Amino acid sequence: MPVDLDNVSTASGEASVSSSGNQTVPPKPTTKKKRNLPGMPDPDAEVIALSPKTLMATNRFVCEICNKGFQRDQNLQLHRRGHNLPWKLRQRSSKEVRKRVYVCPEPTCVHHDPSRALGDLTGIKKHFCRKHGEKKWKCDKCSKKYAVQSDWKAHSKICGTREYKCDCGTLFSRRDSFITHRAFCDALAEESARSQPQTVAKASSESDSKAVTGDSSPPAAVATPPPPPAPPASPKSNSVVVSSSALQTQNPELPENSPQVIEETQANPAMSGSCSSSGTSTSTTSSTSNSNGGGSSSVFASLFASSTAASATASLHSQTPAFTDLIRAMGHPDHPADLSRPSSSEPISLCLATNHGSSIFGTGLQECRQYAPPPQPAMSATALLQKAAQMGAAATNASFLRGLGIVSSASTSSGQQDSLQWGQQPGEPEGASVPAGLGLGLPCDGSSGLKELMMGTPSVFGPKQTTLDFLGLGMAAGGNPGGGLSALITSIGGSLDVTAAAAAASFGSGEFPGKDIGRST
Amino acid sequence: MHLTPYTTTTTPKKPSPQSNHHHHNNNILHEPPPLDNNNNTTMHRSNQSHTSTSRSSDSTEPNDDGKWAPKLLRECAKAISDRDSTKTHHLLWMLNELASPYGDCDQKLASYFLQALFCRATDSGQRCYKTLSSVAEKSHSFDSARRLILKFQEVSPWTTFGHVASNGAILEALEGEPKLHIIDLSNTLCTQWPTLLEALATRNDETPHLKLTVVALAGSVMKEVGQRMEKFARLMGVPFEFNVISGFRDLTKEGLGVQEDEAIAVNCVGALRRVEVEERENLIRVFKSLGPKVVTVVEEEADFCSWREDLVKCLEECLRFYSLYFEMLEESFPATSNERLMLERECSRSIVRVLACCDDLEDDGGECCERRERGTQWCERLRNAFSPVGFSDDVVDDVKALLKRYQPGWSLVVSQGDDHLSGIYLTWKEEPVVWASAWKP
Repeated sequence: MPVDLDNVSTASGEASVSSSGNQTVPPKPTTKKKRNLPGMPDPDAEVIALSPKTLMATNRFVCEICNKGFQRDQNLQLHRRGHNLPWKLRQRSSKEVRKRVYVCPEPTCVHHDPSRALGDLTGIKKHFCRKHGEKKWKCDKCSKKYAVQSDWKAHSKICGTREYKCDCGTLFSRRDSFITHRAFCDALAEESARSQPQTVAKASSESDSKAVTGDSSPPAAVATPPPPPAPPASPKSNSVVVSSSALQTQNPELPENSPQVIEETQANPAMSGSCSSSGTSTSTTSSTSNSNGGGSSSVFASLFASSTAASATASLHSQTPAFTDLIRAMGHPDHPADLSRPSSSEPISLCLATNHGSSIFGTGLQECRQYAPPPQPAMSATALLQKAAQMGAAATNASFLRGLGIVSSASTSSGQQDSLQWGQQPGEPEGASVPAGLGLGLPCDGSSGLKELMMGTPSVFGPKQTTLDFLGLGMAAGGNPGGGLSALITSIGGSLDVTAAAAAASFGSGEFPGKDIGRST
Repeated sequence: MHLTPYTTTTTPKKPSPQSNHHHHNNNILHEPPPLDNNNNTTMHRSNQSHTSTSRSSDSTEPNDDGKWAPKLLRECAKAISDRDSTKTHHLLWMLNELASPYGDCDQKLASYFLQALFCRATDSGQRCYKTLSSVAEKSHSFDSARRLILKFQEVSPWTTFGHVASNGAILEALEGEPKLHIIDLSNTLCTQWPTLLEALATRNDETPHLKLTVVALAGSVMKEVGQRMEKFARLMGVPFEFNVISGFRDLTKEGLGVQEDEAIAVNCVGALRRVEVEERENLIRVFKSLGPKVVTVVEEEADFCSWREDLVKCLEECLRFYSLYFEMLEESFPATSNERLMLERECSRSIVRVLACCDDLEDDGGECCERRERGTQWCERLRNAFSPVGFSDDVVDDVKALLKRYQPGWSLVVSQGDDHLSGIYLTWKEEPVVWASAWKP
């Protein structure tokens, strides 16, 4: 599917807007105007169609005396002044209120249609160049090519400095191996699907017990989960598909100059009760919040149990090996937690919610100060998001934030809990269609954290995880005594068939050790 | 024949200090058992007569300073060829004392080649090969295969080199085509395709439809691979169709589902060596009949074909190739890597196949001929049906960029306008190890 870049650039424009918006008014629920599709100009605007040549020309205003070229006529005029030629600076007249929009000269392009024209000249130039131009700038480190020099420059600066992170926790420094891995990796998705029932049980029982051991914490703060909602959805619910295509349309060709910032805070299938392995059930908001409550309590309890949790962020988490790492990571306020979680069996579901800082926990709840949120991006994306990530996470994330936030207040009642909000995105239409069960409460003070996320500062990755050997095998090398033939016999013995016996016998050694044979089975 | 039972208490030696090797050497070479007294000269003669390769970098005397395994193995092969059973017995026994699949490169070479030579000496090659294959098959699962291949690709460009080169050639040859059909005979479990899918998804023009037809010898994991491919193509937004055909035999245009309006690419990464030597010409003709826009061929650079009847020469070439390979594995993987062990075990099967099995091993479809040929030899075969396509500068740059990201020691050599050779080589410490090429009708 052709994707247009201007979506991207527009989206990233939005991204910075939204992040700065968050900065200034952190706790306020986002009530942004819904963004138009990119390239939906004011119908009254004057439509300008420039030729490809004009668009590609870098310095099209050329001085007739010295042949120096300029990007703008104004600059040329100033230059002419130096030659003592007549010059004229265009006056900015206040009558010029009519907005100009630009169409792409490529007839097959969606932006060729005046109704999808783009709002500024630079935008259309970059669009045309990226989308229809030759990619003549090539990174000599990774050999990725760019049509726009500035994209290439931006990429060159960061090429090789970033890491690609798969849901499974494996980090990649190379884009191609990440892509290959991504196509093949689904261990965690399957795992989460498989382990779900136990996880749920565990989570709730643990939350019960820990809620008790969490001494002073009032039960209200750590809501005991109501019985998980019945598993409602198949792993491939429609909503999954929807979000997938949304991603695709947004991302396929983001310029890579946006830093990668995939913080994976997955909605947790386990946390949302048995809300389907994909975490994308069709459950209602209330069931979502219920399950949120359940999940959160278990995590909170764990956090209580963890001495390092002082300023940790909370995340909803099921039982996974990564759990302790997570907790540990969260113990460092300087490093946003590295929340990597399996989220779904389909790599497509997204889930996120932001909490804006101080209101997350009732200030009256002393225990909850523990959770005084450090700047913490709340962001979630799985699977192919990585693709977005590598190319322009900022833009993508921004739109996720806007589009997919869901309301899931922790609800179950009590006045105390009113202040406990899980995510504050108003339910926009997309939000509503986003599978429930995604509410992932992450305290986020909305300013620095989010900004950091947008900027993709390396510290977003937090404490660097060493690459986990998910591919490791259980087989131990090196520990096996025995010579070559022993190994041979071992392997032969392993086949457990007549051939094996024959082969073994042919060694004329009736006394190969039983352990070899035993081991080989 | 009778072999002294080997000891099971031998503990594998850690890669040992040089002195240890010398110790072995001394034992072996300076205190030969009485019956070997007159054999040193023979051994040297056999060394000198070896002409396993035509490359200038090869000296007539194999360069294995301080390596005892090649010497012993050579001697052993010679004894087997000479039908000197006493000496064969003795050398096998000695090798068994020294070999270990968990030791250093020498010990590993000794271990796996010993297995093959033993099979050769006892005429049990086919049985052993089948056993090894069935063991491998039993322990073979999608998960283990995936793990293995991805890990290998992380640490070594051995397979990714061919992938990047082939993908580059394919993308260029199919540029602008709306319907692509790639027929893939490779043995790399489709790990080549995600990056190609990604490239197609971000292609400047309209994203094409891609049909991928995989011709697999062992189809057991292809179903799962196919699911991954389909899912990934969906995510990438590439219209995609995936088919699997098992067996290289009887490939036809109809069987492969080739349509008139498709732009065809045939991709053979590590594929042709698995075809019986006698079938190779034929298969290449089949390729031609498909009317492909491009045929990509990637093979490991070794000649296990020319001296099929000559055990000593064949062993020499095998030793050369697998010494490089084992050394490469040793430097690429951590010492205790299970992946490395598994890759070495795959080699052990190949070695038995090449050295101890006659070629008319009955083919039940899952067999895999291991007779590698060199780039020049493949060129000769392919030239009958196709003409070579050089890799563009862009592709060469891509490959170079790929190699930069692995550890030092890897580089790229572009063959220089030689009439008999086209394509590019991956070299490991100056030795060409993998050859990649592209062809058109």
